[in-house]
Order: sequence, then structure tokens, then C-alpha cells
Amino acid sequence: MSRTFNDSLPSVAIHPVPKHSMPAAINSLKPAAGRSASAMREEAVTTASVGMGQIAILSPEGVGTAVLGSCVGLTLYDPNLRFAAMAHIVLPSSDNRTGGVGKFADTAVEAMVTKLRSFGIDPAKLTAKLTGGASMFETKGPFQIGKQNIDAVLERLAACRIRLLSEHVGGTQGRRVTFQCRTGQLLVEVIGSTPIVI
Amino acid sequence: MESNQQAAVCIEWEQVFGPAIEAASRAMSTWTQGRVTLSLDEIRELPLVELGEAIQGGQEIATVVALDVRGDVGGQFLLTVDDDGAAKLAGLLLNRAPRPFAEWDEIERSALMETGNILGSAYLSALTNITGLSLFPSPPQMLRDYVVGILEQAVMAQAIESDYVLLARTCFRHLEEDVDWNMIFVPSPELMDLLRNSINVPNV
Repeated sequence: MSRTFNDSLPSVAIHPVPKHSMPAAINSLKPAAGRSASAMREEAVTTASVGMGQIAILSPEGVGTAVLGSCVGLTLYDPNLRFAAMAHIVLPSSDNRTGGVGKFADTAVEAMVTKLRSFGIDPAKLTAKLTGGASMFETKGPFQIGKQNIDAVLERLAACRIRLLSEHVGGTQGRRVTFQCRTGQLLVEVIGSTPIVI
Repeated sequence: MESNQQAAVCIEWEQVFGPAIEAASRAMSTWTQGRVTLSLDEIRELPLVELGEAIQGGQEIATVVALDVRGDVGGQFLLTVDDDGAAKLAGLLLNRAPRPFAEWDEIERSALMETGNILGSAYLSALTNITGLSLFPSPPQMLRDYVVGILEQAVMAQAIESDYVLLARTCFRHLEEDVDWNMIFVPSPELMDLLRNSINVPNV
């Protein structure tokens, strides 16, 4: 799929999902085969305000929020078990830099998959939604970091063979995003615009 | 960072930012005919993950005047004002009844940007005197957006180097009442190192 990054306008895309790739919902939690689930998995929360560099694991009734500027918000979701991982990614590459795995696109995606796997989630069933990566004002600093973040996450998703369902990225405005595990919907709020569900 | 260590670090940073805020307060008082003054609220080296919670109302929308720090080294200077505060400040400066942001014309926008410019110039001039560096503000930009989103971009240069960011936050008083405005200075890593070395503050 070709993409055009427009400095001033956000890119919004919803990618159609083939019907055969959406199996029926399963309500019971299946622990990872051959491993103790309690030993491997961290806590899944019902509410999370995901800060810079953070990854939150959301339970099936969970709601996660984040406010994004140049950072990107990535949500990986299992529509069957309804667990999700939500990351607030700051930089495209860890590149021998210090920082937690959630801070960098090249470590966050794999870390999210690993955390979800501990809940018995098959990575092949995961879907992704991507938001953020704005360039909010002119500065001498890392001006195009938003675009770099978007590109880096897309590259990692492709490498992990995770299907991107929808995106709301770029532009010059911040976003408040809210993901609801019960429905799999991601609400995107941008000042001056009608909130959109992707 | 331990709280005692954090407190010690803040005291050291005050040697640098205290005079800068005093200079900005004098400039603001002159600009507003004595009605608005500033005082140092806090200087924190905080983890990136806590940035969203660090600014009261940061997850909400506010009017922000942003300036780059130019000269020998860089950084960001932000004046954030809530909706009521923006209307009040513009009305005060223009000697007319406050109007909501949606009704502003160019003169109100100019008044707010000039406020940011005056504060930034005074602040950086004081830091210039303290450090011997040449520091001056870029032309101001005005945005109305989620404060944390804007702050994310402002701290990006620091975030590349560290998991901690330094914020120097100042609070405002209008006619002896605290108002929900913030002045936030985010030095670049280079400027932070220079300032840190000048007052012997250890790295986080």
C-alpha cells in the first residue's frame, strides 16, 4: 500500500478486513501452552492512561487512553480474547540508546507481542491500529520525528506480520485517543474536528 | 531519584532559574501594569512517562505560545494558558472585556504572542547573563491544542538522550490570585549540560 505523508493534513485510513480472517469470539482465557501463565504474564488492567514510553496491557473490559503529539500510539488487539496492548512510542529506533522497550518503535512492537503471548494470545490473530505522529510546531529540534515514528512502526508491524486495520496519523494537531477492548474501537479526538472512531 | 536527592537537585537548579524567573516577572509586571506576576513553581527532572501528569490540565486543551531557544544552544519555551485565562489576559492587555478564543481577532492573538515573546526574552536574557551564552527566542508561534501533545514535541531532544526530562515551571498570579497559566522551559540536552556544569548538579 502506498502512503503519502502530508505535513499539514492527517492521514486517515481504514483497511478492509477479509471476513474469513475474523473467527468467532472465545470467552475463556487459555494460558500459554507449556508455560505457567501466572509466571509469565504481567497484570492486565481495566483502565490505563498510557504515558510516554509506556506499554499497558488491557483486560477484555479495559479502556486505554493517551494524548499524542509527535509520539505514536499503537494498539495491538486480539478480537477473540479481547486483550490489547497499547503503547505510547516516542522514538523510531533504540539504536544503542537507553530507555524502556516501550519508548522505541523497534522494541515496542515485539515487546507488546511477547506480553500478549503470555495471556495465550496467538500473534497471528493480532490486529493493529496506529495514531499520532503529528508535527505540531516548527522547531530546530527533531522536526520530522513524527513521520519517522510512523514509518518505523509500520516497518515493525510488517516484519511481525501484524495486520494494520486502521490509522489516523500525521498532520499538525495533537490527538487524544481512547481504545475500548470490549468493542475494539479506537476513538480519536482532534481539536476542531468531530471525534472519529477508527 | 530519591526525594531528598530530587530536592537537593532542585535547590541547585534554582540558582539558575530563579533569577530568570525574577526577570520574567518584572517584564510581565511592566507589560500588564503590575497586574500579573510570576513565581517559580518547581524544577523537576522527571521520568518521561510522568510528563502527562506533571502539568495540571496537561491532558486538556489550552492556548500555547511556543518559542524556540536560539543562539549558542537550544531548547523550548512554552506559555500555556487555559481558555478563561487566555480571554482574561487578552482583555487585560487590550483594556477591553474578555472574549472567548473562538471570537478572537488578530489583535488578541498578537497580544498573547507578544506576551510570550516578552517573557521568553526576559527569561533568556537573564540566563545569558548567568551563563555567558548567547540565548534569544525565535518568533513566537501560537497553538491551541492538547498541552501534553505540544510538550511531547518540546521535550523530544531531551528524550533522545535520556529517560528523564528537565522542566522548569512557573506559576502566575493575577491581582494576587493564582491563575491556571504555566511557563515551561525545556532546555536542550546541550544547554542542560552547560547549566548543570555551571552549578555542579549531578546527572540523573
